[in-house]
Amino acid sequence: MNADVQTQSGDAVSLRMRGIRKSFGGVEVLHGVDLDATGGSILVLLGENGAGKSTLVKILAGDYTADSGTIEIDADHSTTLTPSSARRLGVRMISQEFQDAGTLTVAENISLGRWPTRGGVVNWGALQRRATEVLDTMGVNISPSATVATLRVGERQIVEIARALADQARILILDEPTAALSQQEVHKLFEWVRRLRDRGVCIIYITHRLDEVTELSDRVMVLRNGSVALIDDTSVVDRRQMVQAMVGRDVGSVGRPAVVAEAALGSTMLELESVSVGDQVVDVSMSVRQGEVVCVYGKLGSGTSQLAELCFGLRQPSSGTLSIAGQPTSLAGPGQAIAQGVGYLPPDRKREGLLMIRPVVENLAAASWPKLSRARMFITRSSEVEAYDQWSGVLKVKANNPASAPISSLSGGNQQKVMLGRWLERESNPLVLAEPTRGVDVGAREDIYATLRSLAAEGKAILVVTSDYEEAIQVADRVLVMARGEIVGEFRNDDVTTANLIAASGG
Amino acid sequence: MSSVDQVPPGATEFTEGVPRHRRRVPETAALAAVLVLLMVFFTTRSEFFLTRDNLVNVLFSAAVIGIVAAPATLLLVAGQFDLSVGSGAAFIGVVMAWSALNYGIWQGILLSILAGAAIGIVNGVCVTVFRINAFITTLAMLAILRGLGQIVAGGQTIILDGFDTLGNSRPLLEIPLPVFLFIAVMILMALVMRYTVFGRSMYAIGANAAAARLAGISTRTAIFFGFILSAAAVVLAGLVLVSQLGAASPQAATGLELSVVTAVILGGASLAGGRGTILGTFIAVVILGVLNNGMTLMNLDSFWQTVARGVLLLAAVGFDQLRLRVTEDN
Repeated sequence: MNADVQTQSGDAVSLRMRGIRKSFGGVEVLHGVDLDATGGSILVLLGENGAGKSTLVKILAGDYTADSGTIEIDADHSTTLTPSSARRLGVRMISQEFQDAGTLTVAENISLGRWPTRGGVVNWGALQRRATEVLDTMGVNISPSATVATLRVGERQIVEIARALADQARILILDEPTAALSQQEVHKLFEWVRRLRDRGVCIIYITHRLDEVTELSDRVMVLRNGSVALIDDTSVVDRRQMVQAMVGRDVGSVGRPAVVAEAALGSTMLELESVSVGDQVVDVSMSVRQGEVVCVYGKLGSGTSQLAELCFGLRQPSSGTLSIAGQPTSLAGPGQAIAQGVGYLPPDRKREGLLMIRPVVENLAAASWPKLSRARMFITRSSEVEAYDQWSGVLKVKANNPASAPISSLSGGNQQKVMLGRWLERESNPLVLAEPTRGVDVGAREDIYATLRSLAAEGKAILVVTSDYEEAIQVADRVLVMARGEIVGEFRNDDVTTANLIAASGG
Repeated sequence: MSSVDQVPPGATEFTEGVPRHRRRVPETAALAAVLVLLMVFFTTRSEFFLTRDNLVNVLFSAAVIGIVAAPATLLLVAGQFDLSVGSGAAFIGVVMAWSALNYGIWQGILLSILAGAAIGIVNGVCVTVFRINAFITTLAMLAILRGLGQIVAGGQTIILDGFDTLGNSRPLLEIPLPVFLFIAVMILMALVMRYTVFGRSMYAIGANAAAARLAGISTRTAIFFGFILSAAAVVLAGLVLVSQLGAASPQAATGLELSVVTAVILGGASLAGGRGTILGTFIAVVILGVLNNGMTLMNLDSFWQTVARGVLLLAAVGFDQLRLRVTEDN
C-alpha cells in the first residue's frame, strides 16, 4: 500500500479532452471545450459562477456524460466515462460538498468502496493499517478511529485527500477546496497539493480566487460562459489578463452604482443594535434604509449567513435588538418575519427556495397565496398567472408555459429572478438576499443587479449578504465587511474597492 | 504569450433558459388506456362483465377504497401517508355498532365522529408536534386501533339492525348511495386540491418542505389538517361498511391501507411528494375494482387478487422511481 503512495511518478499520466459539449434542459453550458493536462503539474481552472467549470470536471469524473467530445486518458481512448470507469483510470474528485460518509470512521472512509476483505468479511485490521500508513505518510495527526463528522472542515478535507491517495489517484480534481478553510488550513492544503504534484499526480484545481492561481499553478485555463477564454502558463499571464478573461471586459469597468445622496434615503426598514447569535454573530449593529442597497461581505463561515437568517426569524438573537420598520421585534419564525414585511432569498435556492417540480407561476405566487385568494381560501391558476405576468417583465424572466412548466426547466438565473418575484409580489420590504447570484450566469446577474438598483430607487430597503466581493462592489451603496462574526469594516463610495474589501476580510 | 479568445457568438444564448416543456396529461391518459384495455379484456372473457349491473357493482365495491383514497392522495402529495385507515375503519365500525346498540343510532354516529376526530388528532400531533414520521406513527396506530376494536367488540362480530340506509339504499337510477358518496368525496377533494390555498400548500410542502416554510406556509398546520381529513374519510368508510353488512367485525377492512396506497401511487402521486391528482387516483381505484371484479368473474381464486394487488403496487412504485430519475437527470 505504502509503495503505491510513493511511486507514482513512473508513468506520467496524460489527459486530453476534446470538443466537450454539454446541455441541460436544452441549454448548452459547455460549447466544445478542450482541456489538456499532464502528470506532475497543476492546472488551475478559473471562471465565474456558472462558467461551466464544475460541469467540465464532473464530466471528467464521470458524474455527467458529455453530449459530444472525447476524453483520452493515456492511450485509453474513450468517449464517455462512468463513475466506475473514471475511478478505474485513477480520476478522483474532491468536491465542495463532502462526499464522505460522515457517520463512519476516518479509516472506513479512506477505504470507502474498496474495504479489504478476508473470506468475504471486512478485514478490520488491514483497514486500520491502510489508514494509518496513508495518514503517517502524509504526516497528519488524525486518528483513524475518529468519526468523520466530528472532524473540523480542514481535517475532513485532508481525509478526502488521504482517500484519493490510498486510491492511487492519478488525476486529482479539487473543486474550490478552500471555500470553507481557515488561512492556516489553506496553507496546509496547498502544501499537500504540491507534494502530490511532485509525486506525478495530475492536479486540476478549480477556483475563482486569483491569489490561488499565482501561488499554486503551473498552467491556468479560464472558462467563460462555457468556452475557453484563456489558456497559458501561469508565469506569463498577469492578474489583469485573467480577470479580463473571466468577466469578458476590462476590470476598470466593473461598475459601481451611482452614489445615492444620504438625504434621498427614506426611513429605516431594518436595524440591528448590538445583536449577537452565540459566537457566530458578535455584537453587530447596522441599519438599512429605504432607497439603499447595503452589502455584508464576508467569507464562508464569517457569520454572514447567520446574520441573514436572523433577520428572517430562522435564528434567535442571544442578545441585542432587531427592529423592522422602526419597531423592535422578535421573530419566532419565517411566518412572522413575512407578516412583518421581510422577504428572504436563501443562499441555496435549490434546497430552501424552489418548489422544483411545481409550475413557475406557483413558485412566484407561493408567499402570496392568501393575498391572491378569495376569502384567504379559494385560489385560481389565473390569479397566479396575473401575478407572474406583472413581474416577469420587470425581472426579465424567460420561460415558456410558465403556468404549467415546472421551475426546474428554467436556468439558474431565471429561477432566481422568479424567487425575487416571489417577494415583490408579496410587497416585502425590507428584502434580505443571501448570495443572490450564486450559480447564476453572467447575463442574468447583470439583470438582477439592475433590478435591485431600481427597486431601491423605488423605495425598497435591500440587504445583500455575499461572499463574492465583486457582487458587493457592483451592487452596494455601502459595504460592511464581516469576519469571525464581527463587523470589521465599513466602506462607501469610492472606498468600495477589491483591495479594501479583501484586506478587511482578512485576505 | 496569452490568447484571450472571443466568446463565440452563440455563447450568450445559454442565459436564455429555453424550457423544455413536458406535458403531464399523457400520464392520466395512459392510465385511462390501461383501464379501457382491462375492460376490453374482461369483456372478452366474461359475458357478464360489460353489463350495467356489474359495472355498478364494480363502483359499489370500490367505494370504500375510493372514499379513503381521496384524502390519501392529498396526504401523499404533501409527502405523508396514513396506514391506519384499514384498522381505523374497522374500529369506527365497532364503535358505531356498540354504541348504537347501547345508546341509539344517532348517538352512535356522534361517538364514531368523536372517535374519528381522536384518531386524526393523535396521528396529526404525533407527526407535526412530536415529529415522528408518518410511516411509524400510522403503522403504530394500525396496530393500536385493530387491538382496540377487538377489545370494544369483545373479539366478536356485533350485529346491528336498522342502519342500512347509508350502505344499501339506492336513491337514484338504482345506483347505491356509497357510489354517490365515493364520487362526491372525490370531487370535493379535487376542488380542495385545485382551488384552495390549503391544497396548493400541500403540493408545495411535498415539493420542498423547507422552501414551503421559508415562503411563509404553515407546514405543520397544513399536514395536521391532512390527517384530520383522512380520519374524516375513515369515519365515513367505517359507517358505510357497518351499514353495508349490517354488522361490525373488528377484522373488517384488513389490507385497506394496501389498496389505498396502491391506488394513490398507481394514480400518479409520487412517493417523493409534490405530485398527484384526484383524477389519476379515481381511475386507479376503478382499475383496482375492475381487476378484482374481472378476476372473480373468471373464477380465479381470491388469493390471486391479493397477489395481483401487491404486484400492481410494486409496478406503480417502480414506475414512480423511473419517473423521478428522469426528472432529476434534467
